[in-house]
Amino acid sequence: MRIVNGIAQNYFYFASMVIFLIGFHTMLTHSNLIKKILGMNIMETAVFLFVVSIGYVRGRAAPVVGGEAQQFVNPLPSALILTGLVVGVSLTAFALALIIKVYQYYGTVDADEIMQIRSEER
Amino acid sequence: MTHVPVFVIISCLGLAFALPVLCRFRPRPAGWLVRALLMLNTALVARVLLFVNHQGTFYYHLGSWPPPWGIELSIDYLGLFTALVVHGVSLAVVFYAQTDLAGEVDPRMHHWYYTLFLLLLASMTGICFSGDFFNIFVFVEIATIGACGIIALKRHPDCVEASLKYLILSTLGSGLILLSLAILYMVTGHLNLRYIAQHMPTAWAAYPLNVNISLALLVVGFGVKAALFPLHIWLPDAHSSAPAPSSAILSGVLVKIYAVALIRLIHTVYGHKLHQMIPVTQVLLLLATLAIFAGSLFAIGQRDIKRMLAYSTVAQMGYIFLGVALLTENAVVGGVTHIFNHALMKSMLFMAAGAVVYQKGFRRISDFHGLGREMPITMAVFGIGALSMVGIPGFNGFISKVYLAIGALDAGRPVYVAVILISSLLNAAYYLPIVTRAFFNQETGPATFRVDRLPLSMKATLVILGGLCIYFGLVPGSLLRLVQKAVQSLLAT
Repeated sequence: MRIVNGIAQNYFYFASMVIFLIGFHTMLTHSNLIKKILGMNIMETAVFLFVVSIGYVRGRAAPVVGGEAQQFVNPLPSALILTGLVVGVSLTAFALALIIKVYQYYGTVDADEIMQIRSEER
Repeated sequence: MTHVPVFVIISCLGLAFALPVLCRFRPRPAGWLVRALLMLNTALVARVLLFVNHQGTFYYHLGSWPPPWGIELSIDYLGLFTALVVHGVSLAVVFYAQTDLAGEVDPRMHHWYYTLFLLLLASMTGICFSGDFFNIFVFVEIATIGACGIIALKRHPDCVEASLKYLILSTLGSGLILLSLAILYMVTGHLNLRYIAQHMPTAWAAYPLNVNISLALLVVGFGVKAALFPLHIWLPDAHSSAPAPSSAILSGVLVKIYAVALIRLIHTVYGHKLHQMIPVTQVLLLLATLAIFAGSLFAIGQRDIKRMLAYSTVAQMGYIFLGVALLTENAVVGGVTHIFNHALMKSMLFMAAGAVVYQKGFRRISDFHGLGREMPITMAVFGIGALSMVGIPGFNGFISKVYLAIGALDAGRPVYVAVILISSLLNAAYYLPIVTRAFFNQETGPATFRVDRLPLSMKATLVILGGLCIYFGLVPGSLLRLVQKAVQSLLAT
């Protein structure tokens, strides 16, 4: 019962962990490289969601200068994640660029097929 | 003088972004600019070390924002030591790359290579000095892009494939590091390492689960990047397919920077009381032992020289983690000294292998028969590296192994002395046959003795590094004094 209550109260943590596992699973089990990158993105997004939800306190407002709210949520995690997002986007772009190269060399984006081609070459 | 560490990082970043513009039409001067900047920065880091020796370690607040709000750089002995290793090896690598790069990377891409190289260098220096967890994470990500970039720049299917594999696993690692950071921030409310450390006792008392999980994620996250044994699968492909200068910097320095970051976080943030309650050092000891044996055994089975060297790196990372996890002063000194020694030996060995590829164009170990007559300098330097790897007295690898063994005895665990001895024999089993084959094979190879047909910059770099290996094997005093200071401040917290 305690566990169920804990999950119900912190459902965003639970949700981010579920999304993390979905991403992790996609990244490890799919042999299609694009899907691997998608899984990588889902995984990163889950971490970002987790970090942002750390700073959130129910019923409080964003800290805006000159605003009317008296109690604020913690803005620092959101600010950190802004950096994290930029890093995530650039890594995705780089990974996709590499996949284009891989496709030019091997004519496929399937990791298993690439493995086969490489073992035949040896 | 207090601004110098920031200048070192920012000047690298600045030149990295200026190079593509400066070299848009005239790509020639890129290499010279990078070499000049690196020489300046190496001198500056050495100067800061002298300053710290006089005035003591200091903290630098970026933009004058004091912690806990601003980002803090902590200029301590461990950071300066690793920054010196980074800059020293990079300096050797850029002088070597001057000629070697032409054979492996399209000349029109050279300034891009240097851009990525400088990004990698700036981020490695940043990780050495940074005293802020999120800042470390950002530098780790920059290092990931730089490292994958200098592998993929060579136009070869193997390189692109290895780079992609490295990128995916690295991103997994940094995701875990970010998660660990978040869970730690949840219970301590700080990102500054010193402030996290202050709040750690209360956090541990109230939320032991969070502290445990964050430590586990941290070890796995940095473990992937530092190629700790079962997480090393990306390393052999990435380090063996890359151009020789990239292999030297990646295998020689980059993996160790992550190890240093992990060491710093485990020791300063989590502290020694927690090590008695959480068995993290036991886990690290087990993985390190596995790494030492598995890395060596895999290396014995390799037919490609660069793959063999890459697997040897997995084994050597095991020594570093072994020393650090034994927790006695001598063992940690051994582990940290091995960061320097291995950086020197492995970058030298990769450059020697690169020189063989440059002159002869082959990488198979079986082709090395009688090569000592055609490339005596390269193979002699390779021999020095091989003897050093095995840990023959008089070469620098011996020093760190002695300290590791003494540290294992101090900790009351003589079994690790046996591990070090057996693994040294395993090292001998795959390094020495190459050298004996090259020099003492009577049947093959040309009858007359010739000097290597290598450019001067490559020969000089190899000879200087080989000389340093012997120098630090015979006169390790100054190096050990610096490492001891770093370790004492690490263990004091």
